[in-house]
Amino acid sequence: MTYCYRKLYLSTQYMKIIFIILGMLLMSQNLLADISSEENKKVQASQFTKVVADYKLPEVNVVRQDGKKLSFLKELNDGRPVILNFVFISCSAICPMLSHILSKVETQLTKDGQKFHLITISIDPENDTPSALTVYAKKFDAGVNWDFYTSTREASLTIQKAFKAFRGDKMNHASLIFLRPFAGKSWVRLEGFMSPDDVVAEYNAMLKTQ
Amino acid sequence: MSSKIVDSLNIDLKSLDRKSKRGLFSVLLVTMISLVGVEISAASPNPDEVEIGRKIYMEGVLPSGELLKGVRQGAVQVEGAQAACETCHRRSGMGSLEGNFAVPPITGRFLFANEDDRPLALVDTRQPKDITRAHKPYAESTLSKAIREGVDVDGKDMNLLMPRYALNDNEVKAVTTYLRQLSSELAPGVGNDSLHFATIITQNVKPEKSDVMVKMLKAAFGQRNSSQQTYSGRMRMPLDLIPRQLRKWELSVWELKGEPETWAEQLSEYYRREPVFAVISGVSNGTWSPVSKFCQQEKIPCLLPSVALPPDEPSFYSLYYSKGVALEASVLANHLRAKDKNKPRRIVQIYRDDEVGRGAVKVLSEALKDSSVKVENRIFPEKLSENLKNIFKGLSSNDTVMLWLKPTDLVAVNKENHKQFPRVIYVSGFLAEEDYGFVSKEWKEHVRVVYPYELGEKRRKNIAGMQQWLKSWSIPLVDQVFQSEVFFDVLLLTDLSSQMIDNFYRDYIVERAEDMLGIGSNFSAYPHLSLSRGQRFASKGAYIGRFGSDGKLVADSEWIVPE
Repeated sequence: MTYCYRKLYLSTQYMKIIFIILGMLLMSQNLLADISSEENKKVQASQFTKVVADYKLPEVNVVRQDGKKLSFLKELNDGRPVILNFVFISCSAICPMLSHILSKVETQLTKDGQKFHLITISIDPENDTPSALTVYAKKFDAGVNWDFYTSTREASLTIQKAFKAFRGDKMNHASLIFLRPFAGKSWVRLEGFMSPDDVVAEYNAMLKTQ
Repeated sequence: MSSKIVDSLNIDLKSLDRKSKRGLFSVLLVTMISLVGVEISAASPNPDEVEIGRKIYMEGVLPSGELLKGVRQGAVQVEGAQAACETCHRRSGMGSLEGNFAVPPITGRFLFANEDDRPLALVDTRQPKDITRAHKPYAESTLSKAIREGVDVDGKDMNLLMPRYALNDNEVKAVTTYLRQLSSELAPGVGNDSLHFATIITQNVKPEKSDVMVKMLKAAFGQRNSSQQTYSGRMRMPLDLIPRQLRKWELSVWELKGEPETWAEQLSEYYRREPVFAVISGVSNGTWSPVSKFCQQEKIPCLLPSVALPPDEPSFYSLYYSKGVALEASVLANHLRAKDKNKPRRIVQIYRDDEVGRGAVKVLSEALKDSSVKVENRIFPEKLSENLKNIFKGLSSNDTVMLWLKPTDLVAVNKENHKQFPRVIYVSGFLAEEDYGFVSKEWKEHVRVVYPYELGEKRRKNIAGMQQWLKSWSIPLVDQVFQSEVFFDVLLLTDLSSQMIDNFYRDYIVERAEDMLGIGSNFSAYPHLSLSRGQRFASKGAYIGRFGSDGKLVADSEWIVPE
């Protein structure tokens, strides 16, 4: 089953009016210097697509941030629901954004008492060594439920291709997050601009439908 | 000034809540504005606006010293270096590609010019139709709205990746001033109808190597100069139809003589006489440090020279194929560590006491520091006529050695040691330069090559294109790896220049190379070449190779990428 939708909180016209009013308000209070995130948040929109899909996943080895060599399938199928994404450390905008989102997702789901496994796969594995991934994980306050994996270049390509996430080169990477309740079930593929709340909502919705 | 005011009011900013802070800020702003007149009349130095803009753009630091803050995608706060404009629009301001999103150029020439006067730029090479976006010219007020509110000059919401920035009027103005001067003039070495490059040859490089490099570069430049209007006569590729200035490529050969300490002066003199846009290729037998320093100092892109040990210093403008012998040393350390119980008790490194030898030895020694493998280092005598016996003293057939030596030295070692030799003899693939004549029948089983290039069928396929090209230009094949590097360099350069259209800025060519290196066919002797923002070494691993029964080098390990 495949379906797409776009969430637009506000129409463009409506946003324009809000901007004008906000602008006037700010000007009058001499506050242009400090546009807070709350105000921005109101006029932003999440834009992502959701697809439910089955992927045939490969039996390859990966190396976790602590240097341990592991089976990719075993890591996926350890019984916990999985949230998976792809990044590379030297990526400037999309990957840090995705990692930031996952960081918030981890905090929220931990708070909710959920059992889950966040899996981040490097798409520049020759550069993103385990020690480099450890530093990266720290930067995004990764907790115990979030692991980062490197591998050989071939294994990384195989995994990306299996998730239909390979676009020919690391520079062409997309903003993707994959969710799966447990082994043998279909994946939920989210693509585009989503907020941490969107991901948590999709995660909870996925668990509910099982 | 503002800190003084805060001090005099004796207020602890951190203890205030957000609203009070805002109120205070408004008061401060008004006070500051009213004081500006006084400041100017008192002729106190105004902070340089370009520098303020640069710090915001490049580092994400506000004039107050606080971090630049923005909100990306409606919810994701970014600050400091992560929020800096440079992360996406890059140092040159010429934009980049973020996944599926083309980040547009934002220098003054692109933002403020009328559409007819606006230069052309291609951000997404997959979409050659999407050249420079048509938009109304920005004014300072509309740019301010884009930076703070994420609404573009046409009133449309900008991409959600673009942070909405918390900047005040003065800060926006400083950024604007910075953008107006950024990449506003073409770089030295770029003429109206010419584009000047140099290649660099250091002393003691074998003449057949330097000659073949110059021959290849000249042939490639000639080929490019005679066919720059359309690609193989077709008018199909949109990229080739983009109107551009026709520029003839010119090549200078800079030969460095004498002691490396004198090279800086020689380079400056060459550069004074012939300003070049970039250095392409280049070859050294030993140190490259003075060249790298010169390129960094003069901000000259130094694209992929063939050197055995790139200098261990951060440099934006120098890109390399790999870390050379330092990479080999790290790979060997990884390989030995992975042997678990079969690890050798000790490894004896034998090296020439020069920059390359010392560099390699140091890396391996450090990489094995906390392992059970004892590292012992012995210097190879300066003159071959000296007795070689000393350096093999106490070595038995149970030992493991790493010979950081070139073929002539290896031949001498083999001659000396042809009866009783160590169990495993590691040699450097870089230093061996594909010349394995030293591997005698007795040694064959024992020699392992730390080999940073591709092997077998894949290698044959990779370099087949170059071999054909050499034939068509009647250029001899002297050194396959080295020549494949030179060949790759010119292919990359033609791709880069074609995609840069007329935007010949030095930072831009480095950024394009970072992004593009891994895209397109691999015609090099390496398995894979790729760079990214901040990465300076395109190949990151090596095989451990051994000699097969047919005498050919085959992989004895997986491709090892060290930590």
